Amino acid sequence: MTAPLLEVRDLAVTFATDDGAVRAVDGVSFALAAGRRLAIVGESGCGKSVAALAIMRLLAPNARAEGSVRLEGEEVLAASESRMRQIRGGRIAMIFQEPMTSLNPAFTVGDQIVEAIREHGEVSAAEARDQAIAWLARVRIPVPERRFGEYPHRLSGGMRQRVMIAMAMACRPSVLIADEPTTALDVTIQAQILSLMRELSEETGTAIVLITHDLGVVAELAHDVLVMYAGRVAEQAPVGALFRTPQHPYTVGLMGAVPRLDEQVERLATIEGAVPSPRAWPPGCRFAPRCPFVVERCRTEAPPLAPVGEGHVAACWQAPLDRFAAAA
Amino acid sequence: MGGFLLRRVGQIIPTLLFVSILIFGLQQLMPGDPALILAGEERGDPQVLAQIRAELNLDRPIHEQYVLWLGNVLQGDLGFSWRIREPVGKVIIEKLPVTVQLGLMAFAIACLIGIPAGIVSAVRKDRPADWIANGIALAGISTPNFWLGIMMILLFSVKLGWLPPSGYVPLAEDWRQSLATTIMPAFVLGTGIAAVLMRHTRSAMVQAMAQDYVRTARAKGLAERVIVAKHALRNALVPVVTLGALELGTLLSGAVLTEQVFTIPGFGKLIVDAVFNRDYPVVQGVVLVVAVIYVGLNLAADVLYVLINPRLRHA
Repeated sequence: MTAPLLEVRDLAVTFATDDGAVRAVDGVSFALAAGRRLAIVGESGCGKSVAALAIMRLLAPNARAEGSVRLEGEEVLAASESRMRQIRGGRIAMIFQEPMTSLNPAFTVGDQIVEAIREHGEVSAAEARDQAIAWLARVRIPVPERRFGEYPHRLSGGMRQRVMIAMAMACRPSVLIADEPTTALDVTIQAQILSLMRELSEETGTAIVLITHDLGVVAELAHDVLVMYAGRVAEQAPVGALFRTPQHPYTVGLMGAVPRLDEQVERLATIEGAVPSPRAWPPGCRFAPRCPFVVERCRTEAPPLAPVGEGHVAACWQAPLDRFAAAA
Repeated sequence: MGGFLLRRVGQIIPTLLFVSILIFGLQQLMPGDPALILAGEERGDPQVLAQIRAELNLDRPIHEQYVLWLGNVLQGDLGFSWRIREPVGKVIIEKLPVTVQLGLMAFAIACLIGIPAGIVSAVRKDRPADWIANGIALAGISTPNFWLGIMMILLFSVKLGWLPPSGYVPLAEDWRQSLATTIMPAFVLGTGIAAVLMRHTRSAMVQAMAQDYVRTARAKGLAERVIVAKHALRNALVPVVTLGALELGTLLSGAVLTEQVFTIPGFGKLIVDAVFNRDYPVVQGVVLVVAVIYVGLNLAADVLYVLINPRLRHA
């Protein structure tokens, strides 16, 4: 087996705040091979976006990342700032949740794509322009020559996200980190953007790290899934196994919260309570206060990630959970 | 862009008309009878007074006086100074270059200090460079211009003897001497405005640097220098341009105290003299020219906005 493209080991992010140090991400590890698509799933505040920004080294100055992030063997967390500038956009590109505000309103979309292309390659202005138009066409923007000279406010949210994707992919990165790329979009547009991302990753071999709270999006795009809760990994599995046999009560809860068209329900299921604040993580398992399967041990001792199946790990003292399903 | 310009110019006409009524109307409310002043020694003779009033149309109803005055103004005739005995237009054209030179120099100094200081302060927010810049800005805002002017004269003219303490040499006559006579007043006027510009640039830049598009620019791998100077600054400039236009307008309407301290024969001195002498045509003319400059600068600011912020182009 070859070395993975992106390998994250024991990533921890600590924010220095007025109330002391706050650890938002704690011991996150995963590996990503070329062309693979990994989804990081969790509720708001679970640390998934912070983990992504830590990989890009784009965290606020009061944050400190520890652990290891290796891109083709190179330690990203130790790279110089000038090396980071080559990695950002060139090796690891990123798109964001808000296409409405992620593009600069003062420059045309063409300028912004050309800027990325010329930052990462020795390309003449005319050549960069041609490439940018080709990428606009490739993300299926109609009349790309005309859109090239338009300002972002003239485009719809879906179009802007396509522009963001074109800008990210134009430098042929090996990894694309997509932070909630469809959350702000209409459902029909969401589906188009997801299939576009899948298509581009298959054609170019770019690996994708998809950050989302939406399991529907996960099923659409991901090969593997990492479920995060309160800054830690709760469960990691290939997408099929995760949906068939979730082994962490939090994952089970998330799935219960997905509305289904083929079932009549009075109310949508929810997970009781809310994600605790990073300022006050509970001792032991952080999901214990909300967990329906909680036992005494959960409250005092944090469960380690343990194998529960082929490529499937879960951090739960009660795993495997199949016995509860059988009992129910 | 053409349509936009046409619309904006169209909006200016009623504004200027209103301003002209205001100028003319306020004038009538000022105490004192100009005929009495003009009559001088003969102020006791009712016949002389009546004659002066008839000559100056002061015996006509106010609205007629206004129409007569406006008609002349539209033909480029701002009237005749009662006191200096010269056409108002000529008086203004003599003083205008002085004020424009001083104003532009002060404005250039203000921009050169204020905008970069604001940017540095925003980028180094809550760090020593920010504190220092803010401290200097506070000092700049709170220092009275006339005091700073006197201190500068004491230092650079009296103690060091580098610069002439007062007076004015026109640019066309001797540009070196001209700059030497105007650099101190321009600096005095400019630093006060620099402080205001710095504060506004700083807050606009702090806001811009927190925007999503700045994060996108970082994720693209751009250098911080490019992100600050291109992506953030372009967006932060809009409020700064508005403020700049207003400050430049104020500068071009004459700086009474600073002109007084440095004995510079500009607009400020002209208008003060005219008001004290009830020289209505001069007051009207100067205020009207200042109003036109203000309105013109606002138009320029609007055009600049649109160039900076493309979202306004279709509004």
